[in-house]
Amino acid sequence: MAENNQSGCLIVGEGVRLSGTFNVPDIASISGTIEGELTAREIIVGATGVLKGKISAEVVDLRGEIHENLHSKKSLFIRSTGKISGSIQYAEIEIEKGGDLQGTLIKIDANVNSSSQP
Amino acid sequence: MFSKKKENEDVLDSEEVSIEHREVEETSVRHSEAVHLKPSIISEGFEFIGEIRSKGSITVDGKLKGTVSVQSLTIGSTGSVDGNVTADNINVKGQLSGQMECRDLVIGGRAVVEGSLSYSNLAIQRGGIIKGDLKRK
Repeated sequence: MAENNQSGCLIVGEGVRLSGTFNVPDIASISGTIEGELTAREIIVGATGVLKGKISAEVVDLRGEIHENLHSKKSLFIRSTGKISGSIQYAEIEIEKGGDLQGTLIKIDANVNSSSQP
Repeated sequence: MFSKKKENEDVLDSEEVSIEHREVEETSVRHSEAVHLKPSIISEGFEFIGEIRSKGSITVDGKLKGTVSVQSLTIGSTGSVDGNVTADNINVKGQLSGQMECRDLVIGGRAVVEGSLSYSNLAIQRGGIIKGDLKRK
C-alpha cells in the first residue's frame, strides 16, 4: 500500500472526517470519511471508509462506501463489503459476491482518458 | 500379513460408506429444492422468440427473445437473451439485455449485461461488462 513511499499520497485514518477538494497525485488510502471532490491515481477505501461526492481515479479498490459520483478510468474492484451508489463510470469492473451496487452504470473506453499510458 | 489385508479391507469399507453417504446427501439437497425437472437447453444456432415459464433451469447457447420466468438461467458464451427475465439464479457468460429481476447474478469475464437490473447478490468477474440501472433488493 502507501507505506513505502508516501510522497504524493493521502492517508485518512478511521474516524477522521474531511470535506473539500482533494487532488492526490498518487494513492489515497481512506478509512475515514471524505465529502467533496477527490481525484487520485489510485483510491483505496478501507472497510470503514466513506466517500461522498465527486470521486475520480484510475484505480479504485473498495471495501467501504462511495456515494454520488464515481469515475474510474481504469479498474474498479468492489470487495464483498463494498458499497456504491449513484452514477458510476468505469472501464473495467470486478465485484466480489456480497458487493452492493446501485445506480447507473456506464462503461467508458479505457484508452480515451489515460493519455499518460503508452 | 493377514492383519494388514484386513486393515485394507476396513479402509475400503469406510470409503465406500462415505461415498454412499455423500450421494444420499446430494440427492436430498436436490429434492429439497423441489426441482424434479430436467434442464432445458436452447442450443447454439437455435433462435426462440416468445415466452418461457419453468420451475426448472434453462441453458441458452442460442438466441432467446421475449419473456423468461425460470428458477435458474444459464447463458453460455454463444448465447444471448433479450427481454424480460425473472429468475432465482442467473449465470451469464454470453449476452443479456432487457429488464432483469433475480436473486443471484453471476456475470462472467466475457459477458455483456445491459438494461435495468434488480438483484440481491451480484458477482462480476474481471472483464465482465455491465451497463444500465442497478437496484439491490
